[in-house]
Amino acid sequence: MLSDITIGQFFPGNSVLHRLDPRVKLILVFTYIVAVFIPDNWLGLALSVALLLVLIGLSRIPPKVMIKGLKPVLPLLAFTSLINIFYVKGTILAEFWIFKISLEGIYTALFIAVRILCLIAAGSLLTYTTSPTALTDALERIMSPLKVLHVPVHEIAMMMTIALRFIPTLIEETDKIMSAQKARGADMESGNLLHRVKALIPVLVPLFVSSFRRAYDLATAMECRCYHGGEGRTRLKQFHMVLADYIAVAVMLLLVVLMIMTNLFSSAVL
Amino acid sequence: MAFIETKNCTVRYSPGTPFEKEALSAVSVTVEEGEFVGVIGHTGSGKSSFVQLLNGLLKPDDGVVLIDGKNIWENPKDIRFVRFQVGMVFQYPEHQLFEETVYKDIAFGPTNMGLSAEEVNERVLHAAQLVGLPQELLEKTPFELSGGEKRRAAIAGVLAMEPRVLILDEPTAGLDPQGREMILEVIGAYHRKKKATVLLVSHSMEDVARVADRVLVLNHGEVAMFEPTNMIFSRVQELESIGLTVPAITKICKGLREKGIALPDNIYTVEQAHAVLLSLLKGGDVRAV
Ligand SMILES: Nc1ncnc2c1ncn2[C@@H]1O[C@H](COP(=O)(O)OP(=O)(O)OP(=O)(O)O)[C@@H](O)[C@H]1O
Ligand SMILES: [Mg+2]
Repeated sequence: MLSDITIGQFFPGNSVLHRLDPRVKLILVFTYIVAVFIPDNWLGLALSVALLLVLIGLSRIPPKVMIKGLKPVLPLLAFTSLINIFYVKGTILAEFWIFKISLEGIYTALFIAVRILCLIAAGSLLTYTTSPTALTDALERIMSPLKVLHVPVHEIAMMMTIALRFIPTLIEETDKIMSAQKARGADMESGNLLHRVKALIPVLVPLFVSSFRRAYDLATAMECRCYHGGEGRTRLKQFHMVLADYIAVAVMLLLVVLMIMTNLFSSAVL
Repeated sequence: MAFIETKNCTVRYSPGTPFEKEALSAVSVTVEEGEFVGVIGHTGSGKSSFVQLLNGLLKPDDGVVLIDGKNIWENPKDIRFVRFQVGMVFQYPEHQLFEETVYKDIAFGPTNMGLSAEEVNERVLHAAQLVGLPQELLEKTPFELSGGEKRRAAIAGVLAMEPRVLILDEPTAGLDPQGREMILEVIGAYHRKKKATVLLVSHSMEDVARVADRVLVLNHGEVAMFEPTNMIFSRVQELESIGLTVPAITKICKGLREKGIALPDNIYTVEQAHAVLLSLLKGGDVRAV
């Protein structure tokens, strides 16, 4: 069923990770994603994987859910790894026809695979443990210096909030319309490509119609409540950094420093 | 012989996630051919999940669903043919209209069944007539109709498939009294003419009391009661304890009974009450009604 899609989904909970300040989480995840690309040696790579495993453990997100979330990127992963195995030049291990496999190629492929996995896992960990509203709120705060340059930060954040808010609604609606058309004998699971594309029309038309209806309703409702953009709005929930947030920042800084050190003192494999 | 039968059917949503929710727990129900069954229960009690089991839109995690003695999931490829037999009108069915004209939209189901063009044409016209859609509306786009007309067009789209079992999930929600009356009449007419088995999910006790032979009461995904209509509404206390009401007329009669007027406890339509009170006023014997 459509509702089984978990990417970008939020899993309510009360773990340390859930309680961290979303601004801190957002910045640290970006730092981590950049940091994963620092190490050029096994030790550094192991460090980044280790931190991720610890975080997954702390988040109390079932490993099954994490793995399910990573599944969709596996084809991409396999593709990039294969390309790297054949393209990177170095000590040849095996050779057939025009393909040459080098030791360096295998190492690069491994590094890239692990890095991409870490990156996706860190990203999903962020969305799994942060509610979409908290996330966009944090984003708005982080970007607020851009207001000076007349970037409509609040409006962008509001658009993201609304978009995120309506994803589950849209999925539910799609499920419902698909059920209704299936009940009228629509066949969406078999046939060739053209047939399947055609079979989508009975689903897409009602979906568009209801999306527009919903957008109008929402706009009216917002106007009725005197919404007029970000000017002078105050917040129900203020963010406050607490000890746990400072510790999280310290741990991340330590990791980055350690990674740089491994680059200096450990033998590089790339 | 039972026409529709569910044996220990359990339905879970999002299994294996923190959102796991058991919507139906081991539900076993049998419905005879040609029966008119009302399905009631407070919100979230599993009514929609239950009816979606019957035409294979939901697959039971446990248990089997038998239609005419045959397990509908025996051959998953044939589930479409089950859906041709078990027609389903969803809540707010007008949201599923998509074709350029009302005619084409009603024809969607019969065409999917692979019927010939003449047969489809005949069925569309018949269904439109059954729900009282005037001929000239058939060539309009469905988005130009009024709310009530859209609803009728959508119902016609299912009736045109002439299913042996007709399931309706709150078909009267959001309509005015006249619109409700009209829809209920259409359903009743289809039930009588085609000798179809009908399951009507509704929040309106009045609607259910008026049209159903038997009433299935669901509570927290379990069958709380399943009895003939006149028996169900005499169990006022039990119904109220699971958050349901009885028709207003039943309550009035109960009040009158408590005031010492000798009325039977199984009155659930205004017509019945009318007859009983009239004969009482004329000094006749109430219990004879
Ligand atoms: N797609 C879904 N995903 C997850 N949970 C669901 C889904 N659909 C229904 N549920 C849950 O299953 C339970 C039964 O839902 P169902 O829709 O069958 O109730 P209902 O009796 O039809 O309610 P209503 O009277 O409000 O229509 C509810 O608790 C609901 O939250
Ligand atoms: Mg329902």
